[in-house]
Amino acid sequence: MTKGRPEPAFTAAQVSGILRRKLVFVSGKGGVGKTAVSQGIARALAETGLRTLWVCFEDPLQEPGVIRQHGSKLWYLNCSAELAFNEYASLKIGSGPLSKVFLKNKLVQYLAKAAPGIHELVLLGKVWYERTHYDRIVVDLPSTGHGLAMFQSTKNFSVLFTGGPVHRDAESMIETFGNPAESGHLILALPEEMPLQEALELSGFLHDLFPENPPGFLVNRLFPGVEQTRQSESEADQPDSWPTPLAKSAADYLHKRMILENYNLRLWRDRKIPFGVLEFVPPPDLSHSKESVSDVLSEELKRRGYL
Amino acid sequence: MNWRHIDEILDERRIIITCGTGGVGKTTLSAAIGVRAALQGRRTAVITIDPAKRLATSLGLEELGDRPANITSEIISAFRKAKAAGMTIPAQFKEPKIGRFDAIMPDARSNFRDFLRDLAPSAEIVERVMSNPIFQIFTKEFSGANEYMALERLQAIDSMREYDCIILDTPPSRNALAFLAAPKLLSQFFDERLIRWLVLPANSLVASGMKKALSILERLTGTGFMTNLFDFASTVFAVRVRFLANLEKTMDLLESPDVGFIMVATPTPETAPEVRHFIDILSKHRFNFDGVAVNRTLGYLEPVPSAAKSPKQQRPYEVLTALISREEKALSGVGSGATPLCAKLPELARDVHSVEDLFYVAMALDPDYRL
Repeated sequence: MTKGRPEPAFTAAQVSGILRRKLVFVSGKGGVGKTAVSQGIARALAETGLRTLWVCFEDPLQEPGVIRQHGSKLWYLNCSAELAFNEYASLKIGSGPLSKVFLKNKLVQYLAKAAPGIHELVLLGKVWYERTHYDRIVVDLPSTGHGLAMFQSTKNFSVLFTGGPVHRDAESMIETFGNPAESGHLILALPEEMPLQEALELSGFLHDLFPENPPGFLVNRLFPGVEQTRQSESEADQPDSWPTPLAKSAADYLHKRMILENYNLRLWRDRKIPFGVLEFVPPPDLSHSKESVSDVLSEELKRRGYL
Repeated sequence: MNWRHIDEILDERRIIITCGTGGVGKTTLSAAIGVRAALQGRRTAVITIDPAKRLATSLGLEELGDRPANITSEIISAFRKAKAAGMTIPAQFKEPKIGRFDAIMPDARSNFRDFLRDLAPSAEIVERVMSNPIFQIFTKEFSGANEYMALERLQAIDSMREYDCIILDTPPSRNALAFLAAPKLLSQFFDERLIRWLVLPANSLVASGMKKALSILERLTGTGFMTNLFDFASTVFAVRVRFLANLEKTMDLLESPDVGFIMVATPTPETAPEVRHFIDILSKHRFNFDGVAVNRTLGYLEPVPSAAKSPKQQRPYEVLTALISREEKALSGVGSGATPLCAKLPELARDVHSVEDLFYVAMALDPDYRL
């Protein structure tokens, strides 16, 4: 076990600063583990006694729109655009017959479904609305492009709707998400080339949207042993100089993996980006234990001092 | 395990569409299938819609755009290098009749403009649509328009009949099928009965319920939006007939026996349910499912006797062993039943940055291939 202190290159301060905010948005390339890590964050927050809501958007494998309790202080919501739209409309028009006429109208249903950006707007609107009902909200954003598009359309709508309540709400949402006293953005990556690269692009886009609210960076699934591998060792033996892309044995694979991950992380190190790391925890064998990946990740987040 | 060889799929289909969630190596795999097709003498195009530019990186290119980048000569030289380095080369590739390999990354925004130009009855309509703020949001890089344009581009490239084989690498998504929802979403958008309501708001036949709904909508969104919406709807109305005809043509192509879908996945516990879901949806669409390509497998690594491990190596080995056993379970889950597997590829020790590495992956697509 690598119980020792993390190397100075990995820093806890920035990540834990982000995780202290009321609203935490976890973004990053597809496949980097946003769902498990954001659930781990929510779990760890709930364990400290904070009423915490974890939110994901339109997961087809989960029941939509229902807030379910997952612990004494933890709730999960699979946010559905359709339900959020209806909820928002009722909130604005009241739940009387007028709202029924509105929501049952074919054209309104059509616009709610097909008009670009409406989905994203009401989904984030739901998160924004729920923030008054919980101590903390942790949001599992869709992967890079789609996650960004959610913020982007909120901004677009604040421009597109030149008057009326939707305009005002969209403006307030943008303000909340861009305010470091209220919201934090955590960009998650893997120690692999494309996720690290995409994280940089993502942080650029986020900066354009929320210039006052710089994101935090976290590398997930760092292979155990990478932190102990000297960077000089990786410098001397660069992956592109290996004769074959394949590893010959388990020992060769591990050796190369240590070098490769360190080599890939140069992309962030060279730019002096402070980042946290989570060690690779393979999912526990679910047939033998009731522990889930998010349980293990919540322990790892605490062990690292991020929460 | 039920295998369906990639060469068999290449023989049967003119177009292969690869789907999968992010991080599974979909783009690299698509490029490798393309290399294999080119080595078999086919004129091949690999089209990617991945905004991350992974395809350019895998091919060792600085950039890639809407114009086809021909890298046939790089494949020939990768082949020669592999041969010179003593790499195992299967008999069918010993004297390859190399076709052609083009890589294309369509630009959704400019394609949409061209597409509209083709559809619209006048240039004035195109300009009106393009300057409408609703349309500008509509074509923002990441909306469903991007996905739809990819299919349009596919159809356009295919109809030129310049290629014997086209591989379409779909955008990564949480759900491997999000891509397939785009055309349906767009056809809803062009639903004639509903656009009519917007185009003819002053129609005396407009029911009182519709009037009420529109006035509430206006109260919520402000008048500026409603004006833009009516304007947008009327331009959409003008192109809808040809748009829908085009859409139908695209959907017909996707359903035809010329097109096959491959799902790319990594061996994790989520894979088997995802694959089942994928097959279900494909069959609902009447699309042809050709198999699952399992990527980034570790099972090929020779284990190390535990005595040989230093204390420092214990933890990494533990994790590696856990990953391999998880992989075995996942593979038996995916491979059980009738689901065909079309490839099982090893996790590489480095990222693919060159046609030489891609050449290796192209060989490894054959399940019997050993280095």
